[in-house]
Amino acid sequence: MNFDISGAKIFFRIPTGIPILGDFLISETLVVSWLVMIIITGLCIFLTRNLKVENISKRQAVAEMIVETANNFVRNNTGGTKFDKLIPFVSALFATSIVSNLISLVGLRSPTADLSTEAAWAIVVFVMITANKIKASGFGGYLKGFTTPIFIMTPFNILSEIATPISMACRHFGNILSGVVINGLIYAALAVASSAIFGIIPGAVGQFLSKIPILDVGIPAVLSVYFDWFSGAMQAFIFTMLTIMYIANAAEG
Amino acid sequence: METQQLVTLVPWTFIAQILNLFLQMYLIKRFLFKPINEILEKRRQLTDKEIKDARSANEEAVKLKAKYESNIADARAEAAAIVSSAQKEAEIRAEELVRSAEAQVAGIKAKAEADIAQERKKAINEAKDEIGGLVMDIAGKVVEKEIHEEDHRKLIEEFIQSVGEAS
Repeated sequence: MNFDISGAKIFFRIPTGIPILGDFLISETLVVSWLVMIIITGLCIFLTRNLKVENISKRQAVAEMIVETANNFVRNNTGGTKFDKLIPFVSALFATSIVSNLISLVGLRSPTADLSTEAAWAIVVFVMITANKIKASGFGGYLKGFTTPIFIMTPFNILSEIATPISMACRHFGNILSGVVINGLIYAALAVASSAIFGIIPGAVGQFLSKIPILDVGIPAVLSVYFDWFSGAMQAFIFTMLTIMYIANAAEG
Repeated sequence: METQQLVTLVPWTFIAQILNLFLQMYLIKRFLFKPINEILEKRRQLTDKEIKDARSANEEAVKLKAKYESNIADARAEAAAIVSSAQKEAEIRAEELVRSAEAQVAGIKAKAEADIAQERKKAINEAKDEIGGLVMDIAGKVVEKEIHEEDHRKLIEEFIQSVGEAS
């Protein structure tokens, strides 16, 4: 019994001829990402149909609750309405992350199980953090901030600055990938166990049953509560939370 | 099928995911936040308006109430004034009535007294004349002699006077 786990499938390869960037790969990651975007946007359109001021439908109540939650989440964590412009960004980040994580439940490969996705998000957040820092204390002040509290600390400060996006990306990616790996292992292991157990039954019946991975039905769902549901929701929340905290801290100077 | 490595950074995927994130941000903003925030704002305005309306209605009611109360108080005062003036008038009229009645009574009494006095005087005069004539006749019969009325008038009158005083 061999178990191997690989990266996202590549459906098409569009050669671009640009040296560093390489070929454009239409991979599973991108296709599922687009699917996730369609799901989120479709949900938004569905929830905001027939909006009314009074006598609202359940659908509208849910939509309003989502908006209020997003508003309160950002305002509570930044302490004010200064970052209201960030609300759609943070919401998009959270929605994309959580839907991407949970889409593995229907058997698709999560876009978040590809480091390119998280790296992209982390870089965007990093640029925002840096932009806010520069806006808060000026470019000179931003550079000077690396020499605090003493000049010797400069390399470490630069390191910690760079570590922020890397840690954010790798934390998220690692959690999701570990879920994928563990789920794959469990499926494989249960298939082996199943064939071993039913192989005990003598004759043709045992031979037939041992070929069907019966134990794979149901049991992985229990483990998926943690590795897909909990971990997926948690990582989306953590990533979003860190984004807000970092940006709010950066703007304080 | 060809696959990526498990842990790898594909540059184009990386760029595409950045664009995807911003596209998603726009879509969420356009299809969720914009309509919902609009509706929330509309509802807030409606609520504000309703509160304002209710407040102004309340103020108006209070004003009306004060107005009615003052009106009632005015009416009551007016009624009291009317009653008191009517009472005063009635009093005055009654007094007048009494006074005029008294005056009338006094007049009647005075007239009656005057009448009585006149009647008495008249009666006395008549009596005097009659008595004078009577006396003259009697005296004429007594003396059998015509008494000259002119000559004896004085005497007779003195006599009558004395009779009048005696009676």
